[in-house]
Formats: sequence, structure tokens, C-alpha cells
Amino acid sequence: MKRFYKAFIFVSGLLLAATAQASEPLVTAEWLQDNLKNSSVRVIEVSVDTGVYERGHIPGSGNLNWHVDLVDPVRRDIATREKFQEKLQSLGIDKDTTIVLYGDNNNWFAAWGAWVFDVYGLGDQVKLLDGGRKLWEAKGLPLETNTSEFKVTKLELPERDNKLRARFTDVLAVAEGKNDHHLIDIRSKDEFSGKVFAPEGVKELSLRAGHIPSAVNVPWGTIVKEDGTFKSPDEIKAIYAAKGIDGSKPVITYCRIGERSSHTWFALKRILGYDVKNYDGSWTEYGNAVGVPITNVSGTVWTGK
Amino acid sequence: MNLLSTRVIVPLLILFGLAYLANSISGLEGGRSLAFSLLTGAAFGIVLQRSRFCFLCNFRDLVEQRDPKGVIAILVALAAGVVFYHIVMMAWVPVPILGRLPPNAHIGPVGPVLGLAAFVFGLGMAMSGSCLSAHIYRLGEGSPVSPFALGGAAIGFLIGFMTWNPLYLASVANSPSVWLPHSIGYPATIALSLGVCAFLAVIALKLASARHTAQSDFIDLASAMKAVFVERWPPITVGILVALISAFAFLRIAPLGVTAELGSIVRTAGTAAAVIPDTLLGLDTLRGCATIIKNTVFSPNGLFVLGMVLASFAAAFGAGQFQPKRPTLRDVIRGSMGGILMGWGAMTGLGCTVGVLLSGVHAGALSGWVFLVFCSFGAWVGLFAMRRFSIAR
Repeated sequence: MKRFYKAFIFVSGLLLAATAQASEPLVTAEWLQDNLKNSSVRVIEVSVDTGVYERGHIPGSGNLNWHVDLVDPVRRDIATREKFQEKLQSLGIDKDTTIVLYGDNNNWFAAWGAWVFDVYGLGDQVKLLDGGRKLWEAKGLPLETNTSEFKVTKLELPERDNKLRARFTDVLAVAEGKNDHHLIDIRSKDEFSGKVFAPEGVKELSLRAGHIPSAVNVPWGTIVKEDGTFKSPDEIKAIYAAKGIDGSKPVITYCRIGERSSHTWFALKRILGYDVKNYDGSWTEYGNAVGVPITNVSGTVWTGK
Repeated sequence: MNLLSTRVIVPLLILFGLAYLANSISGLEGGRSLAFSLLTGAAFGIVLQRSRFCFLCNFRDLVEQRDPKGVIAILVALAAGVVFYHIVMMAWVPVPILGRLPPNAHIGPVGPVLGLAAFVFGLGMAMSGSCLSAHIYRLGEGSPVSPFALGGAAIGFLIGFMTWNPLYLASVANSPSVWLPHSIGYPATIALSLGVCAFLAVIALKLASARHTAQSDFIDLASAMKAVFVERWPPITVGILVALISAFAFLRIAPLGVTAELGSIVRTAGTAAAVIPDTLLGLDTLRGCATIIKNTVFSPNGLFVLGMVLASFAAAFGAGQFQPKRPTLRDVIRGSMGGILMGWGAMTGLGCTVGVLLSGVHAGALSGWVFLVFCSFGAWVGLFAMRRFSIAR
């Protein structure tokens, strides 16, 4: 009887732990530590630097290589349904798995991963580890180098939900005033104003500087705290409200190549529950397009002196 | 304070200093990797100094003195490292299918440019009297040649960056990066690598002359201290230690290499001075000792080299082998000329005897073996020429 009682407490504890944050978009490092052995939770690392996962990852986690697993390596596009489905099956992910994503570089690529998961219908199952790899390491929490083996599932993904993805024509329509959306440019102030073409250390891949007309500038870092975790929902709400983004109109986020903007997309969509699309073409597509309107406050001209 | 106590205190102070520095930087962002690199460099410096592990000197001992000990140390380092690396790689990439490579492993492009770079590097080693990694540890011994060899290597790197684009377009772009496990699988790669090492060891031992020194089996505190702190370490121990450092560095940070920091400094300066082309074609996509434009003071490779120099100085000082000399004109010329050749070879070949040869062979990269062959050939030609024109030593 005593054993039964213990088992009951254990199972209900697990269920409680799993459901406590089941509807929340973020999990804390403490929650994740308590759920590392929870078989309904699958932790996946999405880091930008190669070798980071192999040299030490959160115990039991799998790996998604964004260069190969999240994008089409030939076309500039997100991964095909077949390829992504096969990858998720091999990571032991099923319809009822709680998926926790984390990564280096302030979770940028983990957030990009969350967007791809959402496009393929798994958005509600996905959470981000708040603070990502940086906070996990800073807290000195355990890492392992073992490669985990997962039981292959028969997960079937739906076709892409293109409503979550803004394409060039959608954005152009906003710029020309034909589509009533809010645009958020999450790049730095200097990229937004057109003073620079790309942040320091990054190749200048666009021929024009500036931003898409009507966009407001809220650099991604404004909504995170010093330790990399998101600010409270109320604070985030106030930051966007001050820029006129209150959720009354659909929103499109963009950056340079669409990764950093996924971080903002995640905050607006998953934390605040707004209607948001990510424009993954971002400035490297729009800033190179011919004959489109651009706002360039600084007036910087390509190769011009 | 007598001489002996100085020989104990100075090295201890340096090692404490290194430990203190490691502890201080471990708190920075990414500091754990930086601290580990510093300490790995220190370990590497001690092992290299205590064993005189220099690719050129070991090769020369065999060719000129018929003494195979150093070459055996290299071959043991290669063989043991292959096994240790595979333990790591087979966990990271369980199935070596095409398109998957172990992260950051030095699997470089194989083609005529690699052969030429390795040959020129070999010539430079022979001319300057040491390979680049040995010049780094010899800085700690007060060598009169090494500062000029390293300065020359910086010039060689600069020339390498200037000649890179045409070489890349003419050849490197089409050179395949061959990873042996892709072609023949892990077991055959291990077996083949060990087989080649064994074969080379047999040749080296066959070349050995009968002359040998009798060693006593007797051991006490005094003889043990002497064996560890003064005498040259035995080749098999050294080979295994080098292999362990290589594999642990790969597991924790990145494959061993000694030229990345030097190359990065030259690239940063050369780019700022606009003598290096704005775009170095394809360079940043290739694997090897990667050079980058520096925007931080501390880098893992920079601290690795710093650890090497300081710890090698500590080891040399403790052994009474810190013997600084005033450089002669010959030292200056030999060092700089050899350094320039080595620098050009290390830039063009994407690393040196450590980064390409050691780390490459360990990882099952064909580039490592190609470097071994052409570098040895270059060193042999260089040594022959130096003797012929009686400019050796």
C-alpha cells in the first residue's frame, strides 16, 4: 500500500510538473532540471555554432543543425515537410511530446526553430528554455557529451501553415499602404536608420541601407533582461505599446535574415498572444529588391562617398 | 638563494601564475573554454619541452644520427591519437555518412596546393632548425633563432594571404576534403592508420644504429626527480601524452593547432593596412587552423600559445635548460628565412605539423597524411641542402 501511495505521489507529481507549464511558452532552468527524466518532454538544442552541442549539451537532449535540418540547403527556404518530419521522428517526437528548445546566441536560432515547428503545426507543443544555453551554463548546471538514442516515432506533420510566414509581396503591400499590418524591424538602431548595411563582423549582403517604410524599430534586446531571460509579459506589452503595437492589427517581424526576428516573433505570438508573422526573407531580400520603396534616414548609399 | 632553489621557485611561481590566470579568466563569458585552453597549452608546452618533441629535430635525429627515439614518439602520438579521436568521433557521428563531419575536425582540402605548402613548410623547418610548434616552446628555452623564426612566420603568413586567392581559384576550390571514414568506415580507418604507423616505426627502428645507452632499472627519489625534471622523457610516454592532449582538446574546445592566433593577428593587421585582399576566397569555409579578424583580446588559441610559452619556460628553467644566447647574424638569417617559408606553408596549407599533420591524422583526414609525406620530403631536401652548402647549425 505504501509503495502504491509513493508511486501515486510520484506520478501525480510528474503530471503536475509537466502540466504546470504545459500552456506556458517558456520554461525555467529549474523546471527543466526537474523534468530531464520526464519521458513526455524532449529537449532539443538549436545552436548556431558547430560543435557546441557535441562538446556538452543538456542531459538527454537531441540536436537540430539549423544549416541542414531547419532549412532547405539548396533553395532559400525552410526545410521541406518530408525532411523535417523524418528528422523529428528520429528525435523521438510525437503528437503529445512537450518540446523544449534552447540554444546559444541568446536563443536566436532556437526561436527560429520554434517558428519552423509552428509553421508545421507543432507550435503549441514547443517551449523555449528561458535564457537559453547561456543561462544554463552561467548557473553551472550539468552538461553531458553522450549522444542520446531516441525511439523513432511515426509522427505525421501537416502541410505548412503559410499564415505564419510573411512573404515579400505581403511586406511590399504594407510598405505601399495596401495592407494594414504593423511592421517591426528588430535590428539595431544604426541598421534601421541606414547608417550601416549590416552589424559589425557580418557581411554586407544588401545593396541598400535603411528599412521598410512604416516599420517601427524595437531592437530584439529591448525585451530581454541582463541574463538573457525575457522580461515580464506586462513589461514586454508596454515596450511595444509605446511604439504603437498593441495587438489590434496583425504584425510582421523582420531583421536581416529572419533569425533574430524569430525571437521577437516568439515574444509577440507566444507570450502576448498577438497575431504575428515572421518575414524570413527580411532585409537581405527586401533591401536587394528592385523598385521598392525604402526609408533611408541616414542617406548612406552603396559604394557612394 | 642558491641556484637549485631558484630552479625550483621560479617554475613554481610561473605555474601558480598560470593557475591564477586560468582561475581569473574562467569567470568571463566563455571563460571556461579560455581557461581550459590556457591550461592545455601549458600541458602541451611542458610535454614538448621535457621531451624535445619537435617534428624537425626528431626527423633529423633519425636521418643524421640514426637515433629513432623522437620519430617513435611522433608515431606513437599519431597512432594513439587516432584511437582516442575515434572514441570521440564515433560518439559524435555514429554513422559516417556523406555530408556529416565531426564538428571542427581538421579535415582539409587535398590537392597540389597542400602538397606544395607542406613541402615548403618542410624546407622552412630544415632551414630554421625547428617546426613552428617547437619554435614556440623554444622561446621558453631562450632560443636565439625562435623569435626570428616566429617573426618570419608572420611575414610568411602575410605573403600567404596575398597569394591565397589565385591559388584558391586555380586549385583549392576543386580540391576535395577527404575524410577516410566516409570512404572506408571507422574500423578500416583505424586499422589503416595504425598499420601505416607500425610500418613507419619498423623502418625507423631498422635505420637505428646499434649505439645505445644502458639504462638502470634502479629507481629512488633522486633518480625519479632527475628523470621527470631534467632528463628527456621516454618516447612512448611522450607519444601517449601528446595524443591525450590532442584528443582532450578536441573533445572540449577544438583540435590542437598553434598557428591560428598568429595568423589571425597578421590577418587583422594586414586587413587594416589594406595589404590583404578584402575577400579571401573560400578561406573561412575550409577546415583547419582558422584565421579570423580579431575583435577580442583573449582567444582560445592565443591563450593556448601563451600557456605553451610560459610553461615551457618553467620546465626549461627547472631543468637548467633555459639558456638564452645572443643571436648571431646566421641565427637571424636562418630563423627569418625558414620562418617565412613555414609561415607561407602554414597559411596556404591551413596549419602546420600540429594543426594539419597531428590533428588531421588523428581525425582520419587524408590531408594529415599528405602533409606528413610532403613535409618530410621538404625537410629531407632542406637538410640535404643545408649540409651540402655547409650552412647547417
